[in-house]
Amino acid sequence: MSVQSGPQWKARSEMKVLNTDVPRVDGPAKVSGRAKYAHDIRLPGMLHARLLLCPHPAADVELLNVEPAKRIAGVVTAAELADRPDRTIFLGQPLAVVAAETPEAAEDGLRAIEVRYREGGWAVTPEQAAAEDAPRISRRQPNALTERETGNQGRTERALEGADATIDETYVVPVQHHCCLETHGMVVDFDGERARVWPSTQAVTGSRGEVAQALGIPADRVEIVCDYMGGGFGSKFSIGPEGLAACQLATELRRPIHLMLTRTDEFLMGGNRSGGRQRMRAGASLDGKLVALDAEVWRHGGIGRGSNPGQPYIYKAETDSMRIGSVRTNTDANRAMRAPGHPQASFAIESAMDELAYAIGMDPLDFRMRNLEDPVYHRQLNRVADEIGWYDHPNRETPGIPTGGTNVGIGFGVSTWGGGGRRVCVVTVRIDPDGSVTSSAGSQDLGTGVRTYVGSIVAEELGLAVSQVTGRVGHSEYGPANASGGSTTTASLAPAVKDAAHNARVAFSERLAEWLECGPGDVVFANGEVRSGTNERMKLTWSEACSILGSDPIVATGEWQSHLQTSGIHGAQAVKVEVDTETGGLRLVKMVCIQDCGLPLNRMALRSQINGGMIEAIGYGLFEERIIDPWLGVALNANFDDYKLPGSTEMPELVAIIDDDDERQQVIGMAEATIIPGQSAIANAVANACGVRIRSLPLTADKVLMGIQEKA
Amino acid sequence: MSDSRHSRRAFLKGAGGVAAGGIVGPSALASSATESTTRAPKRLAGELDVELSINGAKQKVRCQPRTTLLNALRNHCDPPLTGTKLVCDHGSCGACTVLVDDEPACSCLLLAVDARGKEVRTVEGLANEDELSPVQAAFVEHDALMCGFCTPGFVMSITACLEKNPGASLPEIKSACAGNTCRCGTYPHIFDAAVAAGGRMRKGGSK
Repeated sequence: MSVQSGPQWKARSEMKVLNTDVPRVDGPAKVSGRAKYAHDIRLPGMLHARLLLCPHPAADVELLNVEPAKRIAGVVTAAELADRPDRTIFLGQPLAVVAAETPEAAEDGLRAIEVRYREGGWAVTPEQAAAEDAPRISRRQPNALTERETGNQGRTERALEGADATIDETYVVPVQHHCCLETHGMVVDFDGERARVWPSTQAVTGSRGEVAQALGIPADRVEIVCDYMGGGFGSKFSIGPEGLAACQLATELRRPIHLMLTRTDEFLMGGNRSGGRQRMRAGASLDGKLVALDAEVWRHGGIGRGSNPGQPYIYKAETDSMRIGSVRTNTDANRAMRAPGHPQASFAIESAMDELAYAIGMDPLDFRMRNLEDPVYHRQLNRVADEIGWYDHPNRETPGIPTGGTNVGIGFGVSTWGGGGRRVCVVTVRIDPDGSVTSSAGSQDLGTGVRTYVGSIVAEELGLAVSQVTGRVGHSEYGPANASGGSTTTASLAPAVKDAAHNARVAFSERLAEWLECGPGDVVFANGEVRSGTNERMKLTWSEACSILGSDPIVATGEWQSHLQTSGIHGAQAVKVEVDTETGGLRLVKMVCIQDCGLPLNRMALRSQINGGMIEAIGYGLFEERIIDPWLGVALNANFDDYKLPGSTEMPELVAIIDDDDERQQVIGMAEATIIPGQSAIANAVANACGVRIRSLPLTADKVLMGIQEKA
Repeated sequence: MSDSRHSRRAFLKGAGGVAAGGIVGPSALASSATESTTRAPKRLAGELDVELSINGAKQKVRCQPRTTLLNALRNHCDPPLTGTKLVCDHGSCGACTVLVDDEPACSCLLLAVDARGKEVRTVEGLANEDELSPVQAAFVEHDALMCGFCTPGFVMSITACLEKNPGASLPEIKSACAGNTCRCGTYPHIFDAAVAAGGRMRKGGSK
């Protein structure tokens, strides 16, 4: 490859590092406890802080006296939050903060705070909020508000009348929590002039500005460090009220503050995936076309607006119309959560598609393909159908009926996402005379393997082993980077890494050309050596080549290059489930996901992401649901005992397939897509097994059993 | 598990106050924050030195009777042992798993005082100098970690299982980490790693 041309990804067949299984470089630190997360930062004189949360969905704060807390042994200070309201509007709204020498003393301090609430009128369920006499949650608008209308409803009504089969069903999704194992929060070390801050964040670059503002100092005096972070899933873009509280204490005390939410705090104020309700009136023709869809979509995002991309989502209807709006309640605002809105939309449309297919007596896989325009989906659905055993399955056009024993069913779903990048990142690659190579990016690694490819892309470029390049991320000094959201990290960052690596190679080639007695364009980097492309006897080991640099290292930067990335991905999933028709209990047998992603950077990390998407969807499908008592306004499962996450014994056989028929030679982010259709496929598999259609998540045994009894 | 007669749960309910020897426990302050009448400040005292044996070395840790082993490790040891993670604080996620006399235990449910006289092993104690243990090495090779926050807990649970029986079957491995939660969804790779580590331990006979 000529050095004069701009950066280009190599052909896959020529790749030594990329598109292979690369164990992540920070694995040893993570398995040995050496990886330091925000939770783990320990500084001399550091104080532990805890927040006081309002235990009511809405209340007037009649009295808040922090003085008694200050008299508790070990407590250093207690304070009302700078912006604390007189009237709270959501369950778990933070009001005050305590800092103490130990975590235990901070908890003692919280208990000592004198506080008196007068509960106001509130609504915690969408039904309560939509009632005529419901208290207003926002002064500016009604609790339930239709925000957007699309299509021509009159036309859809007429098309529905002409359809051969119709359904009119409502699908309900609960509020799900991110459940990052590392809760939100940060450690702040502020001396009045400069600050060093360790947030658990998806946005190193963005945190810098937020912290600077909170501390009232210029951003160039704030250093953000996030070497490791214990999960974000969309909930950790902002430093949040907990970050502001930590900055408030640090400003007052000039001592390092460690403020991480407790698990219960995390449930109440750490964000969630919005719930909602979708009424789907859909019609099909006997030849398998979705001729009409009218959707009424309500999002439930607490004091937030919720998210849902709308219907008919991925499918194509001949005629469609929709009204979409949100219902507010006195609960924490929803936040982005891995593929915001998409799993919700998927559950309604994939269920409705299945119901229509059976209504016209058609194989639901066939019916899907007739209403999916993109041929990639056809290829992918065939692949997962093969893998799950659909073509040998007895219930292909008609669901089974409860046998009294175990029924087996199979279900499907598809997904889509963008995954493209944008120009933000500046990456620096440095080659030192001693042979060491570093690649630095101010991005963050949420567990996706970013640190590994920040190094491995450079290793590929320079013909080195992954271990010879140190990938560095998680530090504001390493240059600007975008927040890790919307699967935009890879397509924004990897092209900049590639560009920096390319520029470093070009610069190094120019320095080495004379030694190798060839032109700069003929310098070849391969197998840990640098050689002349015109005379194979002219070669240098890597350390010899680097020693030529004398005291003058190569430092090259790289920026985003549009042509190295693209957007637009597809996925398909299939699930096989066993239904115990005596108890309603479900057992997942097998789950398959195929996902395209353009050029794979690290196949092993990709399979991990695909597995992770399927498993989070298993949680959403089978277990997870925030429950707030509608009469008392009390959170009933704000802990890991009562909010059930999928565990090892619930794992089916999981098959993660990277779609290698996607030959696009550009990188694309893919993590979100893998979480979208799993729960829909599970619901469809249950219906396929025994004819019981569960239209609300999660698919608990009681719902299945009720369905079986209704059929009997 | 611990043969202790006073668990942390019981202690927090007040029953453990007896064992605390004249110390005013948190139960005295645990009344609802909405009741503001009986809020005379209470003095919490009674720190004590607890001698713990952690990863083969004795260490005196200054803490309170109510201090959990987890908090002692993370906040009172010198240097702090933060590899063991605080996640749920309820014994329901396994992130704080340590080995107490070779049995896996949730260190968030165990009082530091109850770990006296026992051998505590944490994730920091598994690697031999720079050489990872077979379980740790297999986790890295099989990508059995993503964000990594649950990883130390899984490593400890699997280590306990395989040290007893390196030939553990897949269902036994799943059962051994049934108390551990991973939100990123790493389970299949954890199973692969555990099976591979068991194979290596059977061959090598090493711990």
